[in-house]
Amino acid sequence: MIDKQKITTAPQTQNGEKGQKTVKHNNSAGFSRLLVIWGLTLIVVGIGLGVTLLLIERSKLTVIPVAPPPLPTAANPSDTPPPPQEVNLFLLDATTLTLVPIKIERRLHTDDLTKRLDQVVTALIQETPPNFRNTIPRGTELNEAYIDNQQTAYLDFSSHLTDGHIGGTTAELLTVTAILKTVFDAFPDHIKQVQILINGEEIKTIAGHLNLSQPLQLPQ
Amino acid sequence: MLVLAITFKSTAQERAVRFIDAEGQTLAEIPAHHQNDQVYLPVDAVKQVIDPRATHQYNHPRKRLTLKTKGRQIRLQMGRSAISIEPDGQTLTLATPPITIAQQPMLPVDFFRQLLPILNNVEVIYNPNLNKLQIRSKNTWTPGETDNLQNWTIIIDPGHGGSDDGCTSSTGIFEKNIVLALAQQLQKRIKQQGIQVHLTREKDTNKTHFERIQIAEQNRGQLFLSLHCNTSFSPHEKGIRIYLNNPKGRIRFPSPTQPALIGQQLKVLAQVNFLKQSQDFAHALQTELNFLTETPIKTINLPLIALSEAYMPAVVLELGYLSNVEDLEKLSNAEYTENVVQAITRALQRYISSINQQTAPTAPEE
Repeated sequence: MIDKQKITTAPQTQNGEKGQKTVKHNNSAGFSRLLVIWGLTLIVVGIGLGVTLLLIERSKLTVIPVAPPPLPTAANPSDTPPPPQEVNLFLLDATTLTLVPIKIERRLHTDDLTKRLDQVVTALIQETPPNFRNTIPRGTELNEAYIDNQQTAYLDFSSHLTDGHIGGTTAELLTVTAILKTVFDAFPDHIKQVQILINGEEIKTIAGHLNLSQPLQLPQ
Repeated sequence: MLVLAITFKSTAQERAVRFIDAEGQTLAEIPAHHQNDQVYLPVDAVKQVIDPRATHQYNHPRKRLTLKTKGRQIRLQMGRSAISIEPDGQTLTLATPPITIAQQPMLPVDFFRQLLPILNNVEVIYNPNLNKLQIRSKNTWTPGETDNLQNWTIIIDPGHGGSDDGCTSSTGIFEKNIVLALAQQLQKRIKQQGIQVHLTREKDTNKTHFERIQIAEQNRGQLFLSLHCNTSFSPHEKGIRIYLNNPKGRIRFPSPTQPALIGQQLKVLAQVNFLKQSQDFAHALQTELNFLTETPIKTINLPLIALSEAYMPAVVLELGYLSNVEDLEKLSNAEYTENVVQAITRALQRYISSINQQTAPTAPEE
């Protein structure tokens, strides 16, 4: 039995070796083909990644996408929408710890000052580009904006401006200064002071430190 | 890693000890040697800090150092805490013994801390964290008459309280609790000086700004110190801040034009009448607390609700940022808060002393 096996196995190994040789040959051909395919795939994936990264970088460059143009004169659809205007929003630069103007573009109401004020303050509440901090609690809403004949702007916020505030004199001062700077920068000829209201009421303070019971100005 | 270790070691060795005067001005900055958590200065530092005419002899084999200064002989044995001062016959035990480094005798900072008051009749305080040693004349702020202190009533206002937590750290620590604990500690310390103190809240209770001012007025407070903790939107902002109530500060009220507002304006102006004294107290706080900080403390003028109706000199002291990890750590450290309490107490004495000097009756002229 054992001998028989030996006899039978011997040629098998010979055949096997031959077979292996051919397989080897086939393998190297298949391997290089595989290499080519993989190489091509890698190149394609690489290009794809590159393009995606480039697109991401580009989208970063344009810090804030131009907002979809709200149509202010909906009553008359034939009117052309006003051209986009640049507005400075004062946001906190987390590195320098200062408020810096960030330019955005908005199609602002040209004829209605109050509506324009509403647009600017709403933009200040909503915009938070990367690397900057918005100093107004997220979720705060502007109920109403109004300018009286003394050039005092009244900004009526939802109570979240107070309830959602993180507290601290520094943070409270940053919130108020960001609002004042943004408004004075956008309306240099029309607004001289700003009074902050919560749900239509005058308030003493936002976070317990600053006295906001009167209209406020910034040092000249 | 090795490079890093070497750099660290070398910077640790080079960190100088800064000797400052009572106003925080640098008197001398002396390169120090740091070993086993102790700071050592070369013997020559004695000439810079204690007496420029000081001389010394060092017996190398016996490791004995003899210093001659101000008519005295001070003998030190390296490695031993006991020192003798002749001709007084006085012996003194140093908290840290002198040692030899590279065969040279080195004096521990404690030598200067303990010897300066004896030799120069000054008071010395040391901040080991910042390597600052402050030398102050004993007459810098100590009030001449203790009676004057007893006539003083200070109001300490721990901010927020009750349902108003103030600001909160990311670890869940409330401003209202930090300021109350510090206010109570401060009250105890100030009372020891013979000064009367009232807190606007003794417990974790809600108090309106008006109620706080009422307490101050009922107790005939002469100075209102409101304690708070700060927060910012950036975790990097840190440090102590002092705020003064000034309607013409970084944000400001318009000049009064409307008659309807006159009553309110008068009140605001009334507080402004104390602005000069508030500034003096703020300056005293600044000088004393600067000793605890790496960067000078800022004083900021703003219209403040907490002080708007206080008819007395008043200051808001923000002890640190709960949004900053370093500040939070400091405020949770008993040693640090004790240092803050001491600094505020010294600021009070300094302020009272300056007021007493201003109001002291001048000798009648004949």
